[in-house]
Amino acid sequence: MTNSARPGAASRRAFLKGGLAAGAALAAGSAAAGEQVITEVQDWNRYSGEGVDARPYGTPSQFEAHVMRKNVPWLTSDVVSSINFTPLHELDGIITPSGLCFERHHAGIAEIDSKDHRLMINGMVEKPLVFTMADLKRFPRENKVYFLECAANSGMEWRGAQLNGCQFTHGMLHCVMYTGVRLKTLLDEAGVKPEGKWLLAEGADASSMTRSIPLDKALDDCMVAFGMNGEALRPEQGYPLRLVVPGFEGNMWIKWLRRLEIGDQPWQQREETSKYTDLLPSGKARRFTFAMDVKSVITNPSPQAPITHGRGPLVVTGLAWSGNGTISRVDVSIDGGRNWNTARIDGPSLPKALHRFYYEFDWDGSELFLQSRAIDSDGIVQPTKDDLRAARGSNSIYHNNGIQTWHVNKHGVIENVEIS
Amino acid sequence: MGFASAQDAALGEAVFAKCKACHAVGPDATNKVGPHLNGVVGRPAGSAEGYKYSTAMATKGAEGLVWDEATLAPYLANPKGIVKGTKMAFAGLKKPDEVSNLIAYLATFAQDGGKTSADAGAAAPAEQKAEAPPQAPADGQTPIQPAPAAARGDGLKLGLGRLATEDEISAWDIDVRPDGKGLPVGRGTVATGMGIYDENCASCHGDFGEAVDRWPVLAGGQGTLQADRPQKTIGSFWPYLSTVYDYVRRAMPFGNARSLSNDDIYALTAYILYLNDVVDDEEFELSNENLATIRLPNEANFIEDDRASEPHNKPGVEPCMKDCRPGKAEITMHAAVLDVTPENSENDDAPAAGIE
Ligand code: HEC
Ligand code: HEC
Repeated sequence: MTNSARPGAASRRAFLKGGLAAGAALAAGSAAAGEQVITEVQDWNRYSGEGVDARPYGTPSQFEAHVMRKNVPWLTSDVVSSINFTPLHELDGIITPSGLCFERHHAGIAEIDSKDHRLMINGMVEKPLVFTMADLKRFPRENKVYFLECAANSGMEWRGAQLNGCQFTHGMLHCVMYTGVRLKTLLDEAGVKPEGKWLLAEGADASSMTRSIPLDKALDDCMVAFGMNGEALRPEQGYPLRLVVPGFEGNMWIKWLRRLEIGDQPWQQREETSKYTDLLPSGKARRFTFAMDVKSVITNPSPQAPITHGRGPLVVTGLAWSGNGTISRVDVSIDGGRNWNTARIDGPSLPKALHRFYYEFDWDGSELFLQSRAIDSDGIVQPTKDDLRAARGSNSIYHNNGIQTWHVNKHGVIENVEIS
Repeated sequence: MGFASAQDAALGEAVFAKCKACHAVGPDATNKVGPHLNGVVGRPAGSAEGYKYSTAMATKGAEGLVWDEATLAPYLANPKGIVKGTKMAFAGLKKPDEVSNLIAYLATFAQDGGKTSADAGAAAPAEQKAEAPPQAPADGQTPIQPAPAAARGDGLKLGLGRLATEDEISAWDIDVRPDGKGLPVGRGTVATGMGIYDENCASCHGDFGEAVDRWPVLAGGQGTLQADRPQKTIGSFWPYLSTVYDYVRRAMPFGNARSLSNDDIYALTAYILYLNDVVDDEEFELSNENLATIRLPNEANFIEDDRASEPHNKPGVEPCMKDCRPGKAEITMHAAVLDVTPENSENDDAPAAGIE
């Protein structure tokens, strides 16, 4: 990726023979003064560094300190009930580091000692039960990688291009490996009565967050997770226990999970009536729009990660995901959707998890309109934002899975735009 | 009481979470719902610059009340009892340790939000707590049936956990459904609700539910659902009244949830109906008997998820690869023009619908 690594042996030979033609990128190979980082012994090359006691829990390099979650203050009234965004443009692969997973709380981060945490199952069950965390760790476990996307991700973009960076347009998204117990295992333990049709999940935080979940989904692939990325959940992600509802909107993945109730109807909680209902131009609103649709975004280059290396080899990369299953294909366009090329998916392709794609080409330094378009295992193609607006108007807030356009100018500066 | 230690201040920081919805401390602190609390220990009551106090608090200040350990402790334990008529909608801290730790924490902030000398040594590592012993089954948590030898989940019960008791279930199971299931016995009138609302809710949601700053609007907006900027409130949008009762009981007032009685919530719900013109009689009484019979105006306008019927969601359509759109792409809208992206913006105005 770096310039000094770029000239291969062949081009260096060409340079020595021809003596000219070499552009600025090749100057480092000349007989002129070499780079000081190479010609002079550096401090880190001379003095010993910190010992093994210095960082009992390691954190990223000090030179990566800019890689962090960010809040958009005007979006919400108060940081205690607010949101911050995953810096997607700084990440690669499909796993989001735990400390960078976006946060959305409704009453701040509850700090609960796992010894004081309980999970109750009640309602239409044979036996209402209470579990300690120690009890939960005696059930058979599973490990699964899933994406979590807030239904309001890209919600600001319904009215046209608003925020300049994929962190802000698409960063209510993360993907980690969860460790926990299949929800079905716990419900079987309590014995769901035949009348049971819905499950209410409730959090222990000061918003007592609640959502109604269809029992079919609860018995299918939901999990009660205590681990993420190999360690305990982070407090921001619901330590010590959260619900995992693969492929469904993030608000349903109740954090600080303390109670599961079985009933025969949905409860019509605030988060499934006032919020997370999608208003249409007719004045009607859709409710229980649970599944997250097929979606993708180019994370690099993007407004916060412009092209700084000039023309020549360019790596375009991004993420694709679908609440229906896996991603079967991602296409990339560099001319605003006039022509498309199929990108390369690299890394694991797991159902309801992020997929990483790459599209490499030689940039000639001309203006680009970068877009990506995902197709999922159900054969659904990611729509354009105009397709979505034609069907839903622009007051839906939630479930905006439209194709994103980044405009690249000839200097490599990038902007979030809408195009003809 | 003597000098508070850094340890107390550290514990006090956690207690301050209860105040954060309304108060800020530190170098960037500004007045929020309540005044900033930098240098509050030693500060005359009602004196934060640029903050509009209640007459009650302003009067206390004029009478010479100065906040220190001795005056803050009773105030934080019972704000309304000590300053009658204060608009601080906070029930009070019940535990004396919390109060003293919190005061120790507040004392670490100077007027300018910097650290005071009271904080000296705060950087010293807190004493390590002894490791908790490995979790053994605690008292009263004996398995209700022995675990089968080689159980592997999937229908096989492991006999883990214990039966929930009735008082435990009633403590946590407070959800209410549209058909009234889950409503506790109780009642309250519009007139009573108005008093409770003014004291506990108006500081954020406004005197008439119109909202202060960017806190949520609770009333109005009727007839705007098809407008360019719909205003979704309880009167204009919410389908069920049970949701108001359920939500206010579990989550409000913000920062002091679960502090009101069941009757208070009936009265507040009645008052919210009144603010939304669903009832117009101040003597109207809401109770567990009639709540489920009251309909909100927008109930019929909710439909099930029919996204699958949208043309773009048809499966198996092979997308176009070449010459898919005519002409060169032209920019029709720039995000940069709106200049609302965090790093490069001084503009604090929301340009469009925020997230909810
Ligand atoms: C729901 C919002 C809210 C919460 C929560 C809250 N306060 Fe207040 N507080 C206020 C308001 C509003 C005022 C102004 C009171 C007045 O003018 O009557 C105030 C005033 C005060 C004052 C007097 C300040 C002065 O300048 O005279 C102190 C001290 C104070 N609060 C401390 C706290 C502490 C400590 C907590 C947490 C334990 C807390 N408050 C929680 C809203 C709140
Ligand atoms: C300190 C500010 C504050 C106070 C005081 C407060 N609220 Fe709230 N209220 C909020 C916030 C913030 C939310 C949104 C919370 C969220 O979405 O996570 C909210 C949401 C609500 C909602 C749901 C609004 C919607 O459209 O979904 C209702 C109803 C409500 N509050 C009622 C009340 C009542 C009744 C009281 C008094 C008992 C009260 N609130 C006191 C800040 C406050």
